[in-house]
Amino acid sequence: MRVGASTAREPRQRQVHYGHLPLGAGSAWGRRHRQGVWGWLFVSPYLLLFLGFQAVPVGFGLFVSLHHWNGVVGNQGFIGLSQYVNLFTDRTGNAAGFWSAMEHTVLFVGISVPFLWGVPTVLAYLIYMVPGKGFFRGAIFFPTVLSSSAISTLWLYLLATTGGPVNGVLGLSIPWLVEQPEAWISIDAVTIWWTMGIALVIMYASLTQVPTSVLEAAAVDGAGIVRTFRSVVLPQLRGGSAVVVFVSTIASFNLLAQPFLMTHGGPGTSTYTVSEWIYQVGFTFFHMGQASAMAFVLGFIIAVVGFVEYRLIVGRRMG
Amino acid sequence: MRVSRSMKWAVLVVLSVVVVVMLVPLLWLVMGAFSYDGTVQGVLPLKATLANFNFLAGTTAGIPFWRWLANSVIVSGAAAVIAVLVDSLAAFGMARIGFAGSRVVFAVVVSSLSIPFVATLVPLYLEMSQLNLLNSYEALIAPFTASAFGVFLLYQFFRQFPREIEEAARVDGAGFVRIWWRLAVPIAAPAMVTLGIITFMDAYNDFFWPLVAVSDTDMRTLTVGVAITAIGQFSTNYGELMALTLLSVIPMVVVFVVAQRRLVAGIGTVGTVG
Repeated sequence: MRVGASTAREPRQRQVHYGHLPLGAGSAWGRRHRQGVWGWLFVSPYLLLFLGFQAVPVGFGLFVSLHHWNGVVGNQGFIGLSQYVNLFTDRTGNAAGFWSAMEHTVLFVGISVPFLWGVPTVLAYLIYMVPGKGFFRGAIFFPTVLSSSAISTLWLYLLATTGGPVNGVLGLSIPWLVEQPEAWISIDAVTIWWTMGIALVIMYASLTQVPTSVLEAAAVDGAGIVRTFRSVVLPQLRGGSAVVVFVSTIASFNLLAQPFLMTHGGPGTSTYTVSEWIYQVGFTFFHMGQASAMAFVLGFIIAVVGFVEYRLIVGRRMG
Repeated sequence: MRVSRSMKWAVLVVLSVVVVVMLVPLLWLVMGAFSYDGTVQGVLPLKATLANFNFLAGTTAGIPFWRWLANSVIVSGAAAVIAVLVDSLAAFGMARIGFAGSRVVFAVVVSSLSIPFVATLVPLYLEMSQLNLLNSYEALIAPFTASAFGVFLLYQFFRQFPREIEEAARVDGAGFVRIWWRLAVPIAAPAMVTLGIITFMDAYNDFFWPLVAVSDTDMRTLTVGVAITAIGQFSTNYGELMALTLLSVIPMVVVFVVAQRRLVAGIGTVGTVG
């Protein structure tokens, strides 16, 4: 090929690194078409939107968190890190509300993540064994395409203490959304029902990557389905498990719509989550600076937990 | 996998029970929408009514259904089209053209995947307020247009694109724009459609951004409209609430039916890559 040949003839210092799989980098054609300029031209529409609506808000959020910033009157002056310091020292008011909400959120993460990994993993394995794989995956995946507001509104109705279909069928009057621990059980159950389809699809895809020879060897050795699952399949699902645990942890830390709509943070303030509290502080109390500081602390905690989890599950293999 | 016949049947029974548990709530949604005052006795409806759908006439105060639906479709459609176009240009630029600094840009884009959405909620609101864009379509669309996930997805795709075809095009004198439009886009079409569908769903289903960005009832999206109605009426009329919720999920049901395989394949890929 002509182009390849001309590339080979170029002097060595012309081999500038232009990124992955450079297209005729440094060739006569490459020079004529000014790769650097074209590369930036292709990326620029995205970069403008990315800067405007992702990067600038993050930077601006940091700026706001260093100011006393009221949602109505705006910036009321630089106060340095005092909003962060206040968050860690004040035992009253919004700071106390933040940590109480953090407790609830951590509890929710601790309960929901094992279910969001365990149930779909077992279901993926069961589906793998029988005909009708597409149907089962599709049916379990279906609720995930619905909006948080639709599923929360639906369950608000289904779990109503009086007149709700769930209590109607059970012939009971369990206070699903208005007392504890029922309220947390309901939020957990609804969240698992709503989102486990994503984990199922990931675990199933990861299961199909397990070499069939490995499974056959287990069968030849006389291992039953439980034994095969525990000793042969599970260890092979590390990559998929890491993704599922990582993604569910982040999603669970961000829990907001379900308590916001199903329990309104109640009974009392027992189902307030961090995100819901940040929303409350920022958009109801209009303490935008304080809310931004809380958001950064939450972001930091999520990043640390996510990193530790990822290292624990796949870290050893990555060496 | 070798499994005995009886074991297969046992597993099928277990899975069928799971499927019933997954789908019964949605059956109740339909039944609630057609029930009198939301009263659903047992598993089957006794009497059905269309009265809960009266808001479709457009005269029910506080529920401008058609306007909400139009807002949702405009916002999600525009977000999907812009995201697919912009992301594919960027992914092509980084994966196939390459330029000094492209690796840094890619790393920044991918790392932005880990930003929690509440962290941008307050500053994005303040930014839109400064730009005088609150209560506008622009504000609703903008945050969905720069999808790091989309660039990541298409980047993986463009990298696998066979080099020979591209070289042949270059010999014929095609520039980058022509190679992108005539070669890359048709080959990446399946991935781009998947990205478009995912973006559409994200924008359609999003709740908190449109909740804060818009306060004017007529500018609400359908998703927020449902929630506002639920908060507003507080167990007064479950039948109407379920009718509204049912109609709000129909576009997503259509997307699911049309694109289920694509979505499942797309999510599966993300899982196995990681």
